[in-house]
Amino acid sequence: MTLGATLIGILLIALAVGGMSYAGAGRLRTGGRLHSLPVYHGVHALIWVLVPALLILAAWSPIQSRLVDQYILSTPQGQALPDDGGRRGAILSEARQLARGEIAGGFNPESASLAPRVTEAEGRYSAIGGIAALLFAIGAAGLLLMRKRDRDFRARTAVERWMKGILVAASLIAIFTTLGIVLSLLFESLRFFRLVPVSEFLFGLSWSPQTAIRADQAGSSGAFGSIPLFWGTILIGAIIAMIVAIPLGLMSAIYLTQYAAPRVRSVVKPLLEILAGVPTVVYGYFAALTVAPWVRELGLSLGIESASSESALAAGLVMGIMIIPFVSSMADDSIAAVPAAMKDGSLALGATRSETIRKVLLPAALPGVVGGVLLAVSRAIGETMIVVMAAGLAANLTANPFASVTTVTVQIVQLLTGDQEFDSAKTLAAFALGLVLFMITLALNLIALSVVRKYREAYE
Amino acid sequence: MNSVTADDAITRWTGEAMQNRLRRRYRSERMFKLLGFLAVAISLAFLAFLLVTMIWRGAGGLTMDFLQASDSTDPAMAGVWGALKGSFLTIIVTMVLAFPIGVLSAIYLEEFAPRNRWTDLIEVSINNLAAVPSIIFGLLGLAVFLNFMHLPRSAALVGGLTLALMTMPVIVIAGRNAITSVPPSIREAALGVGASQMQVVFHHVLPLALPGILTGTIIGMARALGETAPLLMIGMRAFVATPPSGISDPATVLPVQIFLWSDEVDRAFVEKTSAAIIVLLLFMLLMNGLAIYLRNRFERRW
Repeated sequence: MTLGATLIGILLIALAVGGMSYAGAGRLRTGGRLHSLPVYHGVHALIWVLVPALLILAAWSPIQSRLVDQYILSTPQGQALPDDGGRRGAILSEARQLARGEIAGGFNPESASLAPRVTEAEGRYSAIGGIAALLFAIGAAGLLLMRKRDRDFRARTAVERWMKGILVAASLIAIFTTLGIVLSLLFESLRFFRLVPVSEFLFGLSWSPQTAIRADQAGSSGAFGSIPLFWGTILIGAIIAMIVAIPLGLMSAIYLTQYAAPRVRSVVKPLLEILAGVPTVVYGYFAALTVAPWVRELGLSLGIESASSESALAAGLVMGIMIIPFVSSMADDSIAAVPAAMKDGSLALGATRSETIRKVLLPAALPGVVGGVLLAVSRAIGETMIVVMAAGLAANLTANPFASVTTVTVQIVQLLTGDQEFDSAKTLAAFALGLVLFMITLALNLIALSVVRKYREAYE
Repeated sequence: MNSVTADDAITRWTGEAMQNRLRRRYRSERMFKLLGFLAVAISLAFLAFLLVTMIWRGAGGLTMDFLQASDSTDPAMAGVWGALKGSFLTIIVTMVLAFPIGVLSAIYLEEFAPRNRWTDLIEVSINNLAAVPSIIFGLLGLAVFLNFMHLPRSAALVGGLTLALMTMPVIVIAGRNAITSVPPSIREAALGVGASQMQVVFHHVLPLALPGILTGTIIGMARALGETAPLLMIGMRAFVATPPSGISDPATVLPVQIFLWSDEVDRAFVEKTSAAIIVLLLFMLLMNGLAIYLRNRFERRW
């Protein structure tokens, strides 16, 4: 029995029982007022048939795959497989894919002979699971139908309790996602730190993961010092991009809120927002294709011999442009939050508009602006595609904006898009970098949010 | 005696020094305004330049063949149909997962959640998830969906799952804003005629908040459509010459296709890349336009 047939069976039973409860409750109505509308009686029955049976099916699928594996290993072909866990796992998963028709041919010759066995075992075990789930559905249906119908039955309360449960479950997914991120990053990073000491990773000055490919030379001989990566990230994301984004974003916000006519503002603001909506891969392509050659020309004409076509400046400039609307809308919000009385008072004393902005509005809005800039920095250092396409791969520790530097995100992409086995120090290093990146952005966000919140409270 | 003081005061405000000072102040006022204008102008000029460059380079490559063909090693044969289909499947998976979960958690947090530590934890997680770099979601997808749950690599299913986790917080935040903007009088009126709290929310508050939620959802979906980095992590960068026929087939998406083509040495791919970018930008424009239309057409100010 296939999964599809089981699902349809359960659904049919549930619909039938739900329909019968609905009709039954409708008949009861002639005898007096119901506590709940008939539709709640129907939904109540539907839920009680559907949910337990589906839960059983969901719980069965991991058990089933374990049972199938056990069965395969107990067959003669299975016992002939190599003992090496990694290779055996690879052959088994290939046999599974062959059996489901996901791939046409296997890389390992053994998997082809295993595939029919897998089909057979999966058929048998999924039939067991399917029948168990169906029996459960039928049992629940029987119980529901045998019960005496009652006008006072609180079907609505019961259904609403279920709905509340679903609401809670939906909002818990956010916590599970956060936990999932933290745990998966931590778990893989710990495996990495078993190969490479934490101190070397955090304080090492040289990064060249390529040398540590061979399994027997783990850790000690590979260079996994992340300082150059973090320096590159800071140079591009926190220095160059911010030199572009802060003045342009702040001045745009000031111009649009304080000077521009409302009609101009209503046209220009959405246009600026488009800058934030353009996919980063487009910026990356633009930076690599158009901006980078210019920057190189500029560097050469300034007499900088080492000017690279993958310069930090090109990536940083384009990233700064991308961040402008972000800085601008944060600045806009915090300027708007300054009480009008402060601005009016300053203007009434005879200050010009620019004096009011510079000496009253901006100092008052400063915490909000700083919070916004911190959020912008956090976004810039986590940005990936622009730097992957426009910044280089060489981990240089240099402050020369025309030179090529690399960033944390570039290296994560670089480490994980090759074809190497998952357990090597190289791939695990990506998770360690991810962990540090996650913690830095988390800290920046928390600081920024608390600054912004404190500031809002000050004026409320 | 008195008139002398008055004259002093007058000369003080009309004298040469004061006139100069005023001129200086007005000049700096004009300069400041000009700087603001320049900032806006530079930003918009950059946007215009970017769009013009892409159109100039790519418009020639936008043919029917380009829209109908799939990826190929030969630039003359390469097209975006496979990538478009992959993007479409991925976005469908993302929306089917992220929209209900996002809306339901927004409802819970706004209408039902008690003020306690658990609720605070949920709120902090959602706000942080909205600001976590997208590449981290790629790492999560790689570690959980591929290495732990053994879902098929390069598939639209995994891409959609990963992007759903990324988009969900955006929908929750938009949903909460839309729900809070529904005035309490609506809830009180419904409660007053005997609706249960659940009925108040699902029969009255949610329909009124839906335009706002949809606007936020479409903007989140547009972001997911343009996302590249997390999909690189889960292997959606494979060369896929046949369009995917289902969510578990190997697929690639439009932004990743752009990235792959941008890496090609063959100069003929420059036109292909720019043409693919035009297609992607058109879709983004369409979605954002739809969001703006929905907002203007249905959103009510209370």
